[in-house]
Amino acid sequence: MKEKILKKDQVKQLHEDLSRYYSFYAPTKVKGNIVFKKITNPEDIELEYLNSKIPPKEILFPRMETLFSYKIDEKNIEIEPRTDLEEKILIFGVRPCDAYSFSLLETFFNFGQFKDDLFMKKKENTVVIGLACNTPRATCFCTSLDYNGHPHRKDDVDIFLTDLGENYLVNPISETGKAIIDKLAWLSEANNDDLQKAEELSKKAESLISTKLDLQHTAEILDPSFNHPLWKEVSENCLGCGTCTFLCPTCTCFDVVEDVDHYNNRGKRVRIWDTCQFCLYTLETSGHNPRNTKIERCRNRVLHKFNYYPKNYDLIGCVGCGRCIHLCPVNNDLREIIKKINAIKNENKKEEVVVA
Amino acid sequence: MLSPYIPMLTTIKSIVSENGVNDIKTYELVFKNKEDEEKFDYIPGQFAEISLIGKGECPIGIASSPTEKGSIKFTIKKMGTVTSAIHNCEVGDIIGVRGPLGNGWPIEELKGKNIIVIGGGFAFSTLRSLVYYMLHEDNRANFKDITVIYGNRNCSEILYQDDLMKWERMEDIDVALTIDCAEEGWDGRVGFVAPIVEAVSPSPENAVAIVCGPPIMIKTTEDVLDKLNFQPEQILESLEMRMKCGIGKCGRCNIGEKFVCIDGPVFSQAELRKMHGDR
Repeated sequence: MKEKILKKDQVKQLHEDLSRYYSFYAPTKVKGNIVFKKITNPEDIELEYLNSKIPPKEILFPRMETLFSYKIDEKNIEIEPRTDLEEKILIFGVRPCDAYSFSLLETFFNFGQFKDDLFMKKKENTVVIGLACNTPRATCFCTSLDYNGHPHRKDDVDIFLTDLGENYLVNPISETGKAIIDKLAWLSEANNDDLQKAEELSKKAESLISTKLDLQHTAEILDPSFNHPLWKEVSENCLGCGTCTFLCPTCTCFDVVEDVDHYNNRGKRVRIWDTCQFCLYTLETSGHNPRNTKIERCRNRVLHKFNYYPKNYDLIGCVGCGRCIHLCPVNNDLREIIKKINAIKNENKKEEVVVA
Repeated sequence: MLSPYIPMLTTIKSIVSENGVNDIKTYELVFKNKEDEEKFDYIPGQFAEISLIGKGECPIGIASSPTEKGSIKFTIKKMGTVTSAIHNCEVGDIIGVRGPLGNGWPIEELKGKNIIVIGGGFAFSTLRSLVYYMLHEDNRANFKDITVIYGNRNCSEILYQDDLMKWERMEDIDVALTIDCAEEGWDGRVGFVAPIVEAVSPSPENAVAIVCGPPIMIKTTEDVLDKLNFQPEQILESLEMRMKCGIGKCGRCNIGEKFVCIDGPVFSQAELRKMHGDR
């Protein structure tokens, strides 16, 4: 199927057409921050942005989500499963790294004997329209990641847009994406100049990413490095605020709490985002805490993404969006941590030489 | 797809206080729906998320054996918010159950072996399940000698006294009960679990030792088993950790890349030695 052109002033039209069938989510400005929200007024859509502060995973895995509701009637309890999971969702303007995070989250939530039905159902009903990243941040490092991360990666979306200045180049990717484009008959055809321009922008964007990390051996270097002094060093200035994990597009940890409406004898069991950076996260009723200090907690975050994820799901648990880097209040830089880990390899080698 | 987060509802059929201070009780639960009972197809060593709707959920090992049809049992110590609330429950109250969860004792691997069950204190519930299961007439021939060594601080803390008395009278199981300090009227053994294991001196020949108890008991017992020439592969343990979902999603019960909820809670000592993680 041929590429199309969407004029910038036609985004309104696109919203009008698609929001008839889908709950239309797009980046918008809330209190100065870019976040993904359900859009009712297309004027609110903000596409001139680097990346959203809160990743769009929030749409499929909300900060607070009902697992089920219940009614309590004397000694009787009636459980009410979720009935709102059939909603058709469209997420518009997602950066390639965040689009990949949806695939990664799907792998995680679908893994093993027990599938997370809430996430999976929503994912199944979701259409993703990606938006190429023409100006990566200084903290971006998607091109270092194992998924062939690239500011113009098109693999994880249904439709891919590239900002050409006046217009967006529209690339239909999946069958669903093609069907949607078919319905938008008012889109104009793209010409060779448009394609060429997109190609140039892609190359330029790639060249703008200055960080190149070698992640090939990081997982295996981490294997014997559980007790390495590095963890003390990298956790020293950590405040334990949890920003790096709460705003990470691949973090999935949650707590489960009850939300009870005693006056109406009703309630909900809800899950809320939690983070391994908090000491209460692992605190047991006995008082024992397996991860009692920042050292263990910082180590867990890095190991989870760069050692446990490769072992359990055969992929790195990071998309290279750089949010944990530029939003950290004390400038802890994951890229620097990885460089330090990679340096352990040479350390080990040196030791081997000495022993030999 | 049925949500793995939704509990099945049960009714409390009976409550038995298990100790002198009355902070450990065994709850016998009956499923409200017969179908749920069939769905709850478990083996000894597995656990379930027990919930009091409106209060919360916590993971508890299954104390009954799958050979005891019609109900399931959980022995619950009054510890935190949920377990304290459960302790206020009465017969007829509704309890939610999600499970069975976890791997359980590797029954197939235990077949044809001498089984030494070593328990300390409150951690005897899934061991009760296992012993009950092995002693069932349909299963007894699958296992060789069964030895139970069970220690407590004092005799009022011993769980499942009726079962233990029954087992003590049986021919095809050896039971050694011990308490930490001598008490009037106690004619069993006296001393910590580890030295009693050393005194009983089970042979490692074609044997598996299953150890559950407080950390210090596990440690000292492991040392004794090592001295008796048990290999790390022959020692099984069941771990506990803070959990929320019990199905490998909420994240907190990991030891290294392993989740206690889905990869455990049963691990061999050999596996535990290979696991780098916080616990």
